[in-house]
This record gives sequence, C-alpha cells and structure tokens, in this order.
Amino acid sequence: MFDYPIFEMPFIGQRMLMAINAIIHVFVSHGGAVGGSIVLAAMAWWANKKNDMQAYNLTYKVVMVFFIISTSVGALTGVGMWIHANILSPNAIGGLIRVFFWKWFIEWIVFNFEVVLLLLLFMSWKKNQATAEGRAKTIRIGIYYAIASWLTMVIITAILAFMLTPNFDGQPWVDPEVYPGNVNYNNALFNPTWWPSLAFRTFTSISFAAALAIMWTWIIATFSKNEEDKEAKARLVKFLAGIMMITVPISAIFGYWYYTEIPAAALAMIPTAVMTRAFEDRFDLMYLMAIGVGGSIIVTTIIAYFSPKRMPYLAASLMVMGFLVLWGYEERVREFIRKPFLIYNYMYSNGIRTTDVPYLNKVGILEHAVFLDEDKKRVKEDKSNILEVGKSVFQIECRICHTKNGINGLKGLTAGWSHDAIRNRLNNLPGGGTPYMPPFVGTEMEKDALAAYLKSLNTKGAIK
Amino acid sequence: MNWKLPFDIPLITPTLGLPLEFFSILGIIVFVVHICFIYMLIGASTASVIYNIVGVFKKDSSYDKFAYRMTNYTTVSENMGALWGVAPLLVISVLFTGFFYTAILKISPHILHIIYGNIIAFLLSYAYKFSWHALHNHKGFHIAIGLSAVLSFFTLPFVFMSMTNLYMQPELFASVNNIWDIMFTPVTGFRLLNFFLTAFMATGVAMIFIGARWVKKGDEEIGKIAISQGKKWFLLATPLNIVVMPLLPFVFTARISESLMHTGFIYLPFIASLLLIITFLFVLNKFKEEIITPQSALRAIGLVLVSIFLMATTREGVRVVSFAEPLELQAEATSKFMTASIAEYKKYKEELANKPALDLSDPVTLAESKGCLACHSLNIKLVGPSYIEVANKERNKGVLIHSIQNGSTNKYDVIPMPAQDVSNEEAKILVDWILSLEDQNK
Repeated sequence: MFDYPIFEMPFIGQRMLMAINAIIHVFVSHGGAVGGSIVLAAMAWWANKKNDMQAYNLTYKVVMVFFIISTSVGALTGVGMWIHANILSPNAIGGLIRVFFWKWFIEWIVFNFEVVLLLLLFMSWKKNQATAEGRAKTIRIGIYYAIASWLTMVIITAILAFMLTPNFDGQPWVDPEVYPGNVNYNNALFNPTWWPSLAFRTFTSISFAAALAIMWTWIIATFSKNEEDKEAKARLVKFLAGIMMITVPISAIFGYWYYTEIPAAALAMIPTAVMTRAFEDRFDLMYLMAIGVGGSIIVTTIIAYFSPKRMPYLAASLMVMGFLVLWGYEERVREFIRKPFLIYNYMYSNGIRTTDVPYLNKVGILEHAVFLDEDKKRVKEDKSNILEVGKSVFQIECRICHTKNGINGLKGLTAGWSHDAIRNRLNNLPGGGTPYMPPFVGTEMEKDALAAYLKSLNTKGAIK
Repeated sequence: MNWKLPFDIPLITPTLGLPLEFFSILGIIVFVVHICFIYMLIGASTASVIYNIVGVFKKDSSYDKFAYRMTNYTTVSENMGALWGVAPLLVISVLFTGFFYTAILKISPHILHIIYGNIIAFLLSYAYKFSWHALHNHKGFHIAIGLSAVLSFFTLPFVFMSMTNLYMQPELFASVNNIWDIMFTPVTGFRLLNFFLTAFMATGVAMIFIGARWVKKGDEEIGKIAISQGKKWFLLATPLNIVVMPLLPFVFTARISESLMHTGFIYLPFIASLLLIITFLFVLNKFKEEIITPQSALRAIGLVLVSIFLMATTREGVRVVSFAEPLELQAEATSKFMTASIAEYKKYKEELANKPALDLSDPVTLAESKGCLACHSLNIKLVGPSYIEVANKERNKGVLIHSIQNGSTNKYDVIPMPAQDVSNEEAKILVDWILSLEDQNK
C-alpha cells in the first residue's frame, strides 16, 4: 500500500466507504439477480402451468421491479466493488486480478448472457404473453437467465473464498520466495470454503428473493387498480412461501457446513465480528439476535404459507428486513474474520505483504513511499518534522481501518493514553486483546513518529 | 523526468503465453463495442428528450411516438455499454495494474461518480421511460425527468475521461493531485469534444438506419422522421469532428506526441477523417431523398464504424508509446525491491528456525509471549496499571485469574482490559509472579 498515492476518506473512513457499496450490492445481487432470476422463472413457470393468467400478469409487474433494480443498482455497484477495492487496496485487488484474471474474464462473458437474457425476458414478455408458445419461450428465457446469474455467483464466490482460505494444507497457491510469483491456479480456485459458501449463498439467495417477491407482490397488488392483481396476490404469495419453506432449512444446513470449514484462527474473531468491539464480551446477545431475526423469518414464512390472505403487509416487510439484517451480518462477519489479513497469510489488512515485513522493518515503511514528499518520509535530526512523518505512517498503515476522529477514530481510541503507553502498544498490536490487528511495520524511528502523531491527536494546539 | 510510479504486483501476469499484441487487439475490439453503445446511449437519450419536446410544440403524435421508441435504444445501450466497459478495464488492470490504480486513486473520491452518478442516471432514465404513458398529460414534468437523466449521463464522460487521460500519461502522476488538475486541461477538453461530436454523429447514422428499417416494415411516418432527423444530426456533427480528429494525437504530453510521430499510428486519424469526409458527401448526396434504403444506411454506418475503429487503434498506439519507458522503469524497480525483500525474508526465517524454544514456565517470557507487556509494565502505568500497582491493590488470586481470562473494567482507569487467551495454568503462573512483585515500601 505504501507505493500508491494516498487517498484518505475523512470521517466515515475507507472501510465504511466500501461497506456502503458492498452491502447494497450483496442485497441486490443475491436477492435481486441470482435468487431473483430463479424465483421469477419459477413464478412464471408455475403461473403458466396452472394456466393462471392473473398470476402470470402480476408476475410481469414483479419482474419489472427486479429488472429496474438489478440492472441499475445491482450491476453498477458490482463494478463499484472493484473501483472501491482499487481505492482501498490496489495491491490486494491487483494481486487477485493476477490470480483470477481468466476466471473474471469468463465471469464477464457469463454476465453478457445474464444481461442480454434479462433484457430479452423483460422486453419481450408482453409480446410473448398472448400465446402458449410465446409463454413457453418466456419461461425458457427465464430459466437460461437463472442459470447465467447463478454461474456468475459460482465464480465470484471462488474469489471471495480464496481471500479467506487461499491454501490447502501443503498445497500452496504461490511460493512467496520466488519473484515473480508463479501462481498455482488450481489450488487458488479449489479452496476449501468455495463449495460450502456457494451452497449457502445459493439457497439463502433463493429464500431472500422469495421474501422480496412476496413483499413486492403485496405492494404492487395493494396499490394496483386492477382487481385481477388483488385476486392473484394470495395464490402467488402462497407459492413463494412454499419456496421459502424448502430453501430456508436447506440454507441453515449449508450455513453450518460453511461454518465448519472456516479456519480456527478466523473462528476466534467471530464474537468481535458479530457484536462489534464495544460488545465483544456480550456474545450471549448474539443468541437473542439470532432468535429474533431467524424467528421472525420462520414465523412470517409459515403465516405466508398457511394463510397468505391474512399475512399483513407489515409481516412481508419484516421478513425482508430479517433477511437484510442476516445478510448484512453475514458479510460483516465474512469480512471481519479474515483479519488481520486481506488475503489470508499473504497480505495484511493494510495491504502489506507478510513476506515484505522483515525488509520493511529494516529500511522503513516510508522508504519506498514514492508519492510522499521527501520531508515527510524521514525524521530530521532536530525532530522538527516528527509529526508529519508520523502522519505519513498513519496514512499508510492505519488509515484503511481507522480514521483520525471519525468512525473507529484513533483520537477517541487513544484518549487519555500517555506517549509511552501508545509507544508500548505499538510494539504488540495483535496482542492485548486485538488479534485482528496487523503488527506495526517499520523502523523504531517510524514507530516513535507514529506514537508522537497519535499523541498529538489529543493535544490541543498541535499540528494534525 | 520526474517519474513517480508504484511497484508492479509481484505475481506472474496470466497472459497464457499470448503476445501483448493479442491483448492490444482484444482491448481495441471490446473498447469499440463499449464506446459504440455509449455513443448510442448519449445520442438516443438526448434524441428522446428533444423529440418529446418537438412533439409537444408541433402537437404531432408521430414525434412523440418516435421519442418513445428511442427510449428502448437508451435502455439497451446503457446496459450493454456499462457491461462492455468492464472488459477493457479488466484487461488494463491486469496488464498495467500500477498505472491504472494510481490514476483511480489520484482522482478519488470523484471517480466514484461513475458508480453512484450512473445509478442515478439509470434510475432517472427508467423513470422517464416507464412513466411515459402515465405522465402523458404532465409533459412538462415528464420532460424534466428525461432532461435530468440526459444531464446525469452527460456528467459521466467528464469523470471517466479525466481518469483515462491521467492513466495514459504516467508522467503526470507526479504533478496531478486531484481530478480538477486533469479535467480542466486541453487534452481532456479536446477529447471530450471529439467524444460528444462522435456520439451525435454515430447516433445520426444509426437513426437513418433505424428509420430505413421502419419504413421497410411499413411504419412510414415515423421512419421518415428518423431518416430526416438522423441526416441532420450527422451532417451537423461531422464537419467539426473531421477537423478535430487529426489533431487529437498532439494534445498529449510532448514526450508521447513526439514518440507517436515516429510510428504508423500517426496516420490513422487522417485516414479516419478522410472516411468521414466520404461519408459526409454520401449522406449530403442523399439529403433531398425522403426514403433511404437500409443497405445504403448500412454503408454509411460501416464507414463511420471503421473511422471509430481507427481512432480506437490510435488511442491504443498512444498507450503503447507512452507506457514503453515507465513499464521498463517499473519492472526494474520492482525487481530490485523484491530481491532485497526476499533476501531479508529468508534471513528472518533462518533466524526464526535457529531461535531456541521459549521457556514458558518463566513468568516474564510467558507475559511477553502472551502480549501482556503491550499494556502493562513492572513499575510504570502504560495503557493498564503497572504490575506493582496491581499487586498492591488486589491480593485475591481468583479475582486476578478471572480478570486475565475474562477481562475487567473500571478498576484502575476507564480503559477496559479485554479478555485474554490464557489457560488456567498459565494464568496461575502469571498471577503468582504479579503478586510476588508487591511493593514492600508502600
């Protein structure tokens, strides 16, 4: 990270910047595109099979909502993941692209099918709906669209899983002592959490999409001036709830499989990941939350299935909310348990490769920071620029997770600490109850400078 | 020259043994497809709003129908344009990782406008399309939605062009520090002028073709509108573009422009201009004809496509001559860094292997290995209290063991002690040691 220009996101920090995009993308891509394509194809197939044209027409309106959200918010936040990753950690995304370029290229080709089929599905629906052959054609397009959507998930899940579990035992994906690193593409691709996370994501996406479809069916039918829509509502909701009755338990089973494949060191991060730092010792609250969220999903599903007419609009929204919380947490936990690494055992959260640490400890983290001014890289004899140098170290090593005085701000975290306390803490960042932090990298002089800078954050009148 | 370049990623580039030229050609092809969709997006969304307005003033429903049909082209080209934009970026980011990411970082956070601004533009364009019939009696409001969609789309090239202009001229990494430094330069202005002119020109010939097809299918009235308007768009945008295009290679930095002059790429924009002159005369010749056959429209489209392709190839030529030197410098610096780093890493691993095993029955070694000394010292207060202070205050072993294993709060200070991963036996060793430190002179 030290060799790239520095961009500092004030107050909300780099992580939150990424998280906003990532969470939106996960909701839309899983609920809207992958799960959505499967659920929409199933709805069209079912309505056509039952010869229920009211339900078939209502399905089109749900397709329209999914089309609008998936192609705008979903697709663009997908590209956004990449651009955000560029901003956060060019070394990490650059490394991943070197390892997975051809997989990403295949993914892009599959994306073409996905987008073209979705456009075709939506834009030819009205033209095709009059005849039985036409409807059969629409359903075929829907099925191909669902397959293409799912295939995009297959590939991207491999890359996400790689970041958590890049290695088999004794089957390394790269030899860190060789330059340029010769990647073993098969070991990188077939990593231990790929299949379980794919299975888990697939079925959760379907149930999430079914919940979303229930909500939109309700909203559309309620506000529709068309009496037929209102009549078809209960039938469609019951069908969608049936999908959830099957997929929710399957998701839970695959979720457990995924959980068992996570490395022990990463599992140890789960309490902090779930409860955040402030509540990390109140893991018992986790069970309450799980019961609350899981319970509300199960109860609303059962109501929707057995009594779709009586299921209130509020319950449908609650079900979707439950899924949003669940997915938001799943993503937070998945991102968090990887700490202190971005790519496990290869690159720390702040983009520093583990194998570079001994060298950088010797020459200093700022030695190769080409985009920094020379007078901000080395502490002068009279120490007049120690705070500027400290700030440079902060910008390179800390800023990816910490802000100065915003979210996870170091000003608040070190309030009341003496200079010696800060200096001493830097000696052992992963210790002291914060195993998710990477070690300090750099010379002793840089450590002094960082400590002086952090101290200055809480000193009135100091340059910041 | 003051080069400021990041290191390369120290992993092999997955070219499958294919030569770089293969990726250049692949890059040009995917870029041409992308840019054609984008030209169509800019043109079709603009046309839809213009003819919607014309329809209102002329009280002519044919114009309204024509404007509505153009929204289909907007929908398809916005989706396909975004999608095909990803492929060139993917190729660039694997081959020229450091330059591409440096450019993106330099113009952050504004680069994120191509995500969030795009989402807003998409949603507005959908709102415009899908509310067409519902807002039929509220045309002013409807046109306002369409206009805001078009204006949102128009902002995107400014950001994107700034990024590519910076990325293609790595010598500017040392001097450009934010997006405005590169956006308000002749190179960006000139290339944007070319972009918008080509967009209207390309949409013009596309409209002639679309109109010709409609006429053939029997939609004569709307088809004629498309043909006559398409001709006007093309004839208005093309002349200036013919002048602008050959000048484009000279707007880059002197180093790039000069080295480009020694290559064949320098002739391509002239050929592209020549093709446009021919197309211009061809369309002008048919200016009076109300109906044009799809075949002759296709001929015009073919010529315009070839000229776009030639310009894309010139752009790739700029990239090739511009990157030759910095790529070499980068490879050299990376190799030097990695050799030093790997040597140091090997030394470190050796030292680690030769290090004697830690004696964990010794409380000081144990305390150090568990990270206790990050926050505590023997006699001075660090993050937590000194061990002597603890020994003086708390003599109960059970309480101390509990505090180590489960953490504690508000005993000495407001800073809480988190739970530590220490076994019962280890905790006992530590507590015995801490208690032995009691200050006898208190």
